[in-house]
Amino acid sequence: MYEHDPDARNDLFQEIVLQLWRSFPSFRGEAKITTWMYRIALNTAISGFRKQTRLVKTEDLQEVHMNISDAWGDDREEDFQKLQWAVRQLPEIERAMIMLALEEVPYDEIAETIGITQNNVRVRMNRIREKLRKLMCP
Amino acid sequence: MELEELKSIWKSSGPGFSPKNEAEIAQMLKGNSQSIVDKLKRSVWFELIFTLVAGISLLVYALTLKSGALKWTSVSILILFVGYSFYYIKKLTLLVNYNPADENIRVSLERLTDNLSSYLRFYKRSYTMLYPIYFVLGLLFVAMERGMDKFLDNLSQPRTIIYLLVIGLVFFFCSTWLTNWYLKKLYGNHLEKLKGLLHDIKQ
Repeated sequence: MYEHDPDARNDLFQEIVLQLWRSFPSFRGEAKITTWMYRIALNTAISGFRKQTRLVKTEDLQEVHMNISDAWGDDREEDFQKLQWAVRQLPEIERAMIMLALEEVPYDEIAETIGITQNNVRVRMNRIREKLRKLMCP
Repeated sequence: MELEELKSIWKSSGPGFSPKNEAEIAQMLKGNSQSIVDKLKRSVWFELIFTLVAGISLLVYALTLKSGALKWTSVSILILFVGYSFYYIKKLTLLVNYNPADENIRVSLERLTDNLSSYLRFYKRSYTMLYPIYFVLGLLFVAMERGMDKFLDNLSQPRTIIYLLVIGLVFFFCSTWLTNWYLKKLYGNHLEKLKGLLHDIKQ
């Protein structure tokens, strides 16, 4: 979700694995292991990773539709691809929040991971849902 | 569109994540980190080693000199190097203690922004101060070479003053522009991105 280009995605994945490996000795078990992992992965993807400059190909919804019909032609798959595309259009912090929510992370953990209040998470999540709705069903 | 509906779509079929085997993970761990903190660490280590090597060489050279202006000039540069070394060690300690696992995204962004801003500020300020110092030292070397009386005679002529002013200004603006351009190229865009993200979180 943070890198569209496959090479850049692999670089980011490698960076996250490296950061997890280095940080593991300092894991004290105070937070859930998943919260700890999300925190490192998101910190790396959002703020810590300094990717090499690559030419990023932009992709519009029409192109996504064409790819879906070529590859699968299935309604459920189409919804999934549209959701992936819509999430990629969000700003990085909102993308992080919706990704955590889609992975069933509770709001208190999202608040803890991002560093905002639970109320703020609720308000923002409503805004994000609205944005996604407009993006997926223009 | 409700969140539960989005979750249900999210869990539906799609190209999933392919687990990596032990060998692939081991290979990944051998790679060089591209994180901004590691990049900063590498830069600071390089600068610290360069400063120490240059400092030791200058010290050895200064010890071979008889007492005089050149010796005191070398000692003053050495004092500057000691100051730089302390700064680099302090910076390295901060960077080594940085752990993304200890902090949430907001705190991590604040810390990275502060670290990077102070690093860039230090560079800009120190170079702004150092260029005039080096320029004056250069003049001092010329004075020593030609003799102080002759040098002061030359310096009192309007043509020499204008010449020195032009050279000084060109040297100052070119070097300041080069430093700014280099720092912006290295870290400037990333700093802007971090500030933008922090602004998004605080909104």
